[in-house]
Amino acid sequence: MNADLIKNLLFLVTGGFLVFLGITVTRDNFTSRVNRITGGLLFLAGLGPIFAALGSIMAQDALGATPIERTTLYSFYLVWELFFPTLVAFSLLFPYNRLRNFKRPTVIYLLLVPQVMHLVLMLAFGDIANFSDSLEARAEEGGIFSIVLGPLAYVVSRVTLLLGFLRAYAEPVFGTINLLYIAVAFYFLETGRRRQTNPRLTAQTNTVIRGLRLAAVLFALSYLGSQIFPNEIPDALITFLRFAALMTLASFFALAIVRRQFLDVRLVFRQSLIYTLTSVILVGVYIILSLRAEQFLAPIFGERAQTVSYFFIVFILLLFPTFSNWIDNIIRSMFVRTRTDYRNIMERFSRQVISIFDSLKLRQTIEETLKTALLVDHVYFVLYDDSVGEYAILQSDDYPRRTVINRDDMMLRGINLLDKPTPFASLREYVEGSALAAILKEQRVRLILPLKDAQHLVGFLALTSKAAGYRYTPEDYNVLRVLSNQMVTALTNARLYADSLEKIRLEEEMSMARQIQLDLLPERPPDLPCAMICAESTPSRTVGGDFYDFIPMADENRVGVVIADASGKGMPAALLIAQIQAIIRSEVNNGNPIPEIMKNMNQQIHKSTSAEKYVTLFYGEYDREDNAFHYANAGHNYPILVRANGQVEHLDQGGPIIGALPGMDYKSAAVQLQDDDLLFLFTDGLSEAMDADGKEYGEDRIQEFVVKQRTMEPAAIIDALKRDVQSFDPSYPPQDDTTMVILKVNNMGGMNET
Amino acid sequence: MRLADREQDGIVILEPKGKIMGGPDATLLHDKLYEYIDQGKKKVVVDLSKVDWMNSTGLGILISGYTTLRNNEGILKLANVTDKIQSLLTITKLVSVFEAFDSIEDAVASFK
Repeated sequence: MNADLIKNLLFLVTGGFLVFLGITVTRDNFTSRVNRITGGLLFLAGLGPIFAALGSIMAQDALGATPIERTTLYSFYLVWELFFPTLVAFSLLFPYNRLRNFKRPTVIYLLLVPQVMHLVLMLAFGDIANFSDSLEARAEEGGIFSIVLGPLAYVVSRVTLLLGFLRAYAEPVFGTINLLYIAVAFYFLETGRRRQTNPRLTAQTNTVIRGLRLAAVLFALSYLGSQIFPNEIPDALITFLRFAALMTLASFFALAIVRRQFLDVRLVFRQSLIYTLTSVILVGVYIILSLRAEQFLAPIFGERAQTVSYFFIVFILLLFPTFSNWIDNIIRSMFVRTRTDYRNIMERFSRQVISIFDSLKLRQTIEETLKTALLVDHVYFVLYDDSVGEYAILQSDDYPRRTVINRDDMMLRGINLLDKPTPFASLREYVEGSALAAILKEQRVRLILPLKDAQHLVGFLALTSKAAGYRYTPEDYNVLRVLSNQMVTALTNARLYADSLEKIRLEEEMSMARQIQLDLLPERPPDLPCAMICAESTPSRTVGGDFYDFIPMADENRVGVVIADASGKGMPAALLIAQIQAIIRSEVNNGNPIPEIMKNMNQQIHKSTSAEKYVTLFYGEYDREDNAFHYANAGHNYPILVRANGQVEHLDQGGPIIGALPGMDYKSAAVQLQDDDLLFLFTDGLSEAMDADGKEYGEDRIQEFVVKQRTMEPAAIIDALKRDVQSFDPSYPPQDDTTMVILKVNNMGGMNET
Repeated sequence: MRLADREQDGIVILEPKGKIMGGPDATLLHDKLYEYIDQGKKKVVVDLSKVDWMNSTGLGILISGYTTLRNNEGILKLANVTDKIQSLLTITKLVSVFEAFDSIEDAVASFK
């Protein structure tokens, strides 16, 4: 093993690696010009070392190549110089496309002229010189042709002279041109970076610029070194410097471009490595075979073999991508399962979104996917909000605040008709008079991605142009269409999940409210020496609007009894009831007379609620000393007083319902109670229990029942009554809140007996 | 509830039909009343002949209508009050608040 061989192998491997990296990047998205150019850049950067190494190997006669073949191959290493124009082309397209508004983007190929000239000069000069010599010889022969050939030979010999001169000074001339190209590329990249606002692109441009600086220094060293000290510095060092520069720049490019794309860096490098190792062998075989083929060609074309070999090499180079594709496919199917393509984005996306139930995080994931995979600059979300029934542009990093869209907005209607990603520009007919269109226009939206489930528009995404101003490709449209279906599913799932969470939360709150309400009701009736009391309240929902209470008073001989029913049901009624309880307790504790308690309560409730919210309420105070029951009835179902002998009285004195109208006056009344008198208080949930025909149970029937059962204990009366109502209305417990309170006097003239 | 409305001798006649039960019914009556109030028509008779049933919320709607009109210097009277609603008004002691008449003609005449 000698140093030369190691150097050549090193060149071959690194060159091969770059070539395949170039092919990978190009294949990654062939429709993108920046990919093609970067790929070409890496491809060319790789060809240089490969040709240099091959030429050097053949110079050792290792492959038995002819001297002609050697020179040809060796000169071909100048192909790598095409790297410089490609570099300039790259700087024109990255980080943003400067050629976008250019009418003929193909002029970019003019950049290739000096390097191609250099290549042709080095390859074909011998042939041209020979041709010139033979022309001159023919012209000197005289004859009919000399008139034509004479001036032609003159022109050709002048051109040959000029070319010979150029060839002699090729190194400084083309070296300077190459350095100039670097400077131009540097300028474009630098100004491009300053104009760039996308942080990702800025970072990538920085990487490229850093690589370019380093490479420029190495290039300059190699050129200046060879010019200033042509003899002191060995050729090998110059070549090394050049290729080191090339590698540096290429690696920085690779780094930038790979990171800029959605490609998985490790995967790409792994792929390229596998390609390289496999291909070095395959390419070797390929070249040997092609050289053998050339040996068959030589006898056919005779002396012109050298020219033929140029074309042959060009031909081989042109065939190379097909060949490499073939290798690529084999390697892919053998080693690399994961495909770094659109399918990969979609797979990854659906894997990610399926597990996200938080709609904000979901939107962020969608946004991130679109920005990194498709390079979309800005993404705006317009979604339908179920709870308020309107479409709104949601707030995001890109959009300052939530904006509601008018239901009749023309643009919204237009988008409603879409079923696939559509360029914003093609929705022109809906622009007029549309506020939405004005906003989208202002945000430079380019593409509308409708999100539709089976029936209706869930919302849509508005995408601006891709970073660096690239157009959306047909593949992008396909990907977006597939992604949009997944987004709809994911967004719907997230919404359903949020709804169910909300429902659970509400249920928890309701059960807490129920507990609070139950705690507000007396735990059990007070143990009075003078009366038996039993009470029961059943809300129709978790919480209810019925209420009863027994209020102890400063005068121990007296006890307050209240029953109330708030209008409406559920939470609103329950809140009203909680307020009633607080007010009545404080009013009673203040020792106010009953009419005043009622009047104050009416004022306070009226002030704190709207007119249609009211409470029917009955409040009474039983005094065991004189067996009197003082009460006021504020619009409540008349409590039934059943005397021991079965006579019935209704406690109907008082005033209007509480909270409906301001300034109402209430009066109180008193009834004298006897032992075994029974007071039955209830709410309309009981009397309005209905049978299947819609007939109400009714107060008369309650009264009849209670009169009949008046000798029973209060708890037994309530149970029996409940059973009777149940047989009447099978759906009981009722649709409305139901409450019953029974107070049965058992005073025995003030004696303590129950 | 469905709500028909007409005018008779400059008096607004509202005719609710069916069950007055709250929910959208409240908005319906409320909006209709404000429509008339905005036109300066503040004398209203509610014809209850076609109301089958009224729950506590329904009563709240009537009270709300009454209050709305009174706050705008108008007045709401009832006509053709059915027995059931009459007893509801009696129990809640709103008979003293609402003026009720046996016929629309009587109610309209009472404004003169």
